[in-house]
Amino acid sequence: MIQHIDVHAVLQESVSGVYTDLVTRPTGRVVRERIERAMATAQDPVTVTRIDFTGVGCIDYSCADEIVAKLLRDRRAVVVLSGISEGHREAIEPVLAGHGLAALIERREGGNGELEALGAPEAAAALVDELVARRLAVRTPAGTIALTLA
Amino acid sequence: MTRLVDVPAQFDDRSFEQFAGAYAAAATDGERLLFDAHAAEWASPYGLVGLLAAGQAARRPGSPDRPLLTAPTHADVLTYWTRAGFFREAAELFEIHGKLPRVKPAEQSDVLLPVTPVRAAEDVHAVVSNIQQRASAILASELGLDPKATMGFAMALSEACQNIVEHAGTGGWVAVQAYHWRRKLARRVVVIAVADAGVGFRHSLEPTQSKRFGARWSDAAALEAALIQGVSRFRDPGRGQGLAGIRRYLARWDGKIAIRSGTARIAIVPKWDDDVPLKDGLPAFPGAQVLIIIPEQGSTTP
Repeated sequence: MIQHIDVHAVLQESVSGVYTDLVTRPTGRVVRERIERAMATAQDPVTVTRIDFTGVGCIDYSCADEIVAKLLRDRRAVVVLSGISEGHREAIEPVLAGHGLAALIERREGGNGELEALGAPEAAAALVDELVARRLAVRTPAGTIALTLA
Repeated sequence: MTRLVDVPAQFDDRSFEQFAGAYAAAATDGERLLFDAHAAEWASPYGLVGLLAAGQAARRPGSPDRPLLTAPTHADVLTYWTRAGFFREAAELFEIHGKLPRVKPAEQSDVLLPVTPVRAAEDVHAVVSNIQQRASAILASELGLDPKATMGFAMALSEACQNIVEHAGTGGWVAVQAYHWRRKLARRVVVIAVADAGVGFRHSLEPTQSKRFGARWSDAAALEAALIQGVSRFRDPGRGQGLAGIRRYLARWDGKIAIRSGTARIAIVPKWDDDVPLKDGLPAFPGAQVLIIIPEQGSTTP
């Protein structure tokens, strides 16, 4: 099963006001803890967790570290990031590289899109190999990878 | 007895050392301070937030008397400082002498963000949320930055403000402004200034870093560790990303960062500037003061 987590909705529940930006460590921590709780309490066995950043404005390095890096470091399922803008990448990529981590980014909105591994090159290659070996993803003729799960 | 601290007529990051020297000399014996800005002709965002930090530091524990501030006498200067949001914050810190004009802090001008207090993470959210729409127009249309650079700008601003929340141990202020920098570049710049009168980088990093540096441990060493080596007072390996991220952003847009803390000042100096990368032995000034400059894109030969 693919579990879908709407980060914008989690953010709105986590901080007072109507902010759409993922900034500051305390905010990142609260958002991550809510995501972890959602992942831990999913009723069906989760193979892939799609974390959707659609609607999120700015992500700073502190939040990228607190949310993305820590979720990946302690991952319990395969994590796919979707709804990622160029600006989001700017924050997430160096944070992942700094930790020697890699994440899967879904290129197209709406799911079943092509995936790209982002972060430390060795970790990215290992992540793709692992997903293909577990048959959670396949290599496409275009040289990318795609999830096998709907 | 009251000790006098002169506010430079042109108050920016350069003349700040003159101000810090006057502050250090006047603050030695715990007497009440009078900050004299009557002759002020111009102040950069760095000058304004730095003056607030001095006012914060000059409050004497247990004394009901706030430090004194003589407001600028020139009407234009007074109006500008008011529109920049300075007096709204200064009113809490100083006993102000001089007649202040009744103008609101700017909402539509080169003041992208008036002087704004930063005390908690919630304040950083408000700052980032407020700045994005206005900064987007200025960065793209006037500075020639790619529209995508706006998000990086917000990230840099967020991280600069978080240094106060996470390390200062007290509140501080941020201000963002766009102006034509005739003296140095003869082009437009956007300037972020952040200041606090908190514990400073040396004190913040001391528990985790001082042993590593041994006898070399100092304000300068602490600034170098934080800005160049990306170390943090937290042992979490993800910490220290903020200043590194600001550096990456500024490298892409030919920008400058300078951080002053205690008796030292460090800068990442772009080609268009002639600042010194590291200065030590400066007059002691509390907390940390951060200056970020992003110039109009194109040739930046001074």
